[in-house]
Amino acid sequence: MNARDRRDDALKRAEKVEPQEELTLGVDDDATLFVSARTLRRRADWFIKLRWSVVLGAGGVTVLSWPVTWTQLDLRPILAVIILLALVNTAYLLRNLRTPPRVLLTETRYVKTQMVVDLFLLTVLLNLTGGLENPFHVIYFVHVIIASLLFKGREIFHIAALAIVLFTCEVVGEYFGLLPHHHLFAASGMHHQSTYMLMTLGVYWLVLLFSAYIGSSIMKHNRAIKNELVARQKQLIAQDKAKMDFFRFVTHEVKNPAITSQSAIDAVLVLSGDELSPMAKDLLERARRRTAQTIDIVKDLADLTRGAMQDRQETSRVNLNVKFKEWMDDFAERAAERKIEVVTRFPPVPVILNTNEQAIEKIFVNLYSNALRYSPEGGRITVRLFGAGFTRVSFSVRDRGIGIAPKDQQKIFEEFYRTPEAKRMSTEGTGLGLPIVKRLVGELGGRLTVASVPGQGSIFTVSGLHNV
Amino acid sequence: MRKPKVLIIDDDIDLVEIIRVTLESASYEVIDAQNGMRGVALAREEHPDVILLDVMMDAIDEGFHVAYELRKAPETKDLPLLMMTAVTERTGLAFNPERDGDYLPVDEYLEKPISPRRLLELVGKYAPAES
Repeated sequence: MNARDRRDDALKRAEKVEPQEELTLGVDDDATLFVSARTLRRRADWFIKLRWSVVLGAGGVTVLSWPVTWTQLDLRPILAVIILLALVNTAYLLRNLRTPPRVLLTETRYVKTQMVVDLFLLTVLLNLTGGLENPFHVIYFVHVIIASLLFKGREIFHIAALAIVLFTCEVVGEYFGLLPHHHLFAASGMHHQSTYMLMTLGVYWLVLLFSAYIGSSIMKHNRAIKNELVARQKQLIAQDKAKMDFFRFVTHEVKNPAITSQSAIDAVLVLSGDELSPMAKDLLERARRRTAQTIDIVKDLADLTRGAMQDRQETSRVNLNVKFKEWMDDFAERAAERKIEVVTRFPPVPVILNTNEQAIEKIFVNLYSNALRYSPEGGRITVRLFGAGFTRVSFSVRDRGIGIAPKDQQKIFEEFYRTPEAKRMSTEGTGLGLPIVKRLVGELGGRLTVASVPGQGSIFTVSGLHNV
Repeated sequence: MRKPKVLIIDDDIDLVEIIRVTLESASYEVIDAQNGMRGVALAREEHPDVILLDVMMDAIDEGFHVAYELRKAPETKDLPLLMMTAVTERTGLAFNPERDGDYLPVDEYLEKPISPRRLLELVGKYAPAES
């Protein structure tokens, strides 16, 4: 990538200032349709498997029946139909492998054609295996039920009508001698008994149409519910986006004046600090600290609400031994000022994790700066890192500071909660650091725990970090 | 001896004033522009010794566009450019000086809130004030 491309790339990224939008729940375009080309294809794939089991089952029975004489049927044409079904199914399989599902209409037609071919083959097979005598004619119902799951309104009745026409033609054809009759068992005259035939056909028509009706109305109801849900979800997403936009505006609008105020105070303190009375200087120092706190709160709030990992996909190999030391160095002056001894217990081998560096930095820096903030002068902080050569990495930050009362040990992870001891010790701190840490650790798939004895110190442990 | 001239491009008039006071106390001459376009024009006319540029003005990344604009023109392409930004604090802008720094055409970044010492140090690096 040359410099110009990288610049354009950077500009493109700058235009796309709302990366968190991509992180919100998205509505699948397919969700608005009850059936999409893809879902239909998945069902078609499933039908192919179903057909293979029919081929294996029916084919197996036919082949096994060959030496036995339990039936008078001629098995050769039956086997031929089963082989034809296997061939047709292979063609479907090849087609599915070669053509990705794109257009819903094409897929619908394709599945419909398959159903029509299935119904024809079923009718031929029924004719070869006794027609009316064969109880397997209930398989027509299965087709109508499947059709009601896949199609809408009239299309279901088209399949039902075809099933009715095919079976009726078969039965009536045999009755009038237009089609040959193959006895399933001993010669029975069932197919010539008009009362039995009319009764069977009547019940068959009625139940088939009724199934189609029930199937289509249940699915209509389901579709209505789904449409409603999708509409509500879209509405919620829009509201969420509006809320985030407003929040971004608010944080920006609050942060900017605070930043300017702090710059002004800094300028006064530096340019004319010596001319100020000690009281004026002290008050300005206080104002400066509180303004800095406001800025920190706004930044933390922004992190917390937008999900601090802005670019979640962005991962790199992070050498934790090196990075922890680097981040700790940023606080070296502060630790020295308060004579805090910092002890590191790192494995001699580098602990390298493929992860989001920004997130790890935030987690570590928050925990480490808390340890510094709540340690007494001359205290000691121990940073431990475990996990060389393993896929799971953990680390802990231990201080000998004010500690956290047992009743507060869960509350500290709630937004804006600061223990009374923490408030007494320092006016710094936003009450948002630990919630952010907890959230980030969760996003990285790890666990954050705390153990503490009031007055003796706390140990925060992040465990179960792994390569992202 | 001529005083070194600093151009501030920022739409926050209070911040401009704070920087002006700080720089003038160290004997710099300060001119300012409240938007990117005016800033580019002033840079061409006045040929300042240093330009201080804000990122977020009317547009969220206006400063970066101004920076490219300045680097494109032969008469301004060599002027030291210091970018003042709070966006490195992950405000949602996709730019990151650490990541994009090597191909963003600015010389230095100045974190907001502006520390007067750091400001004087950085400006002094490119245009030493007369003592």
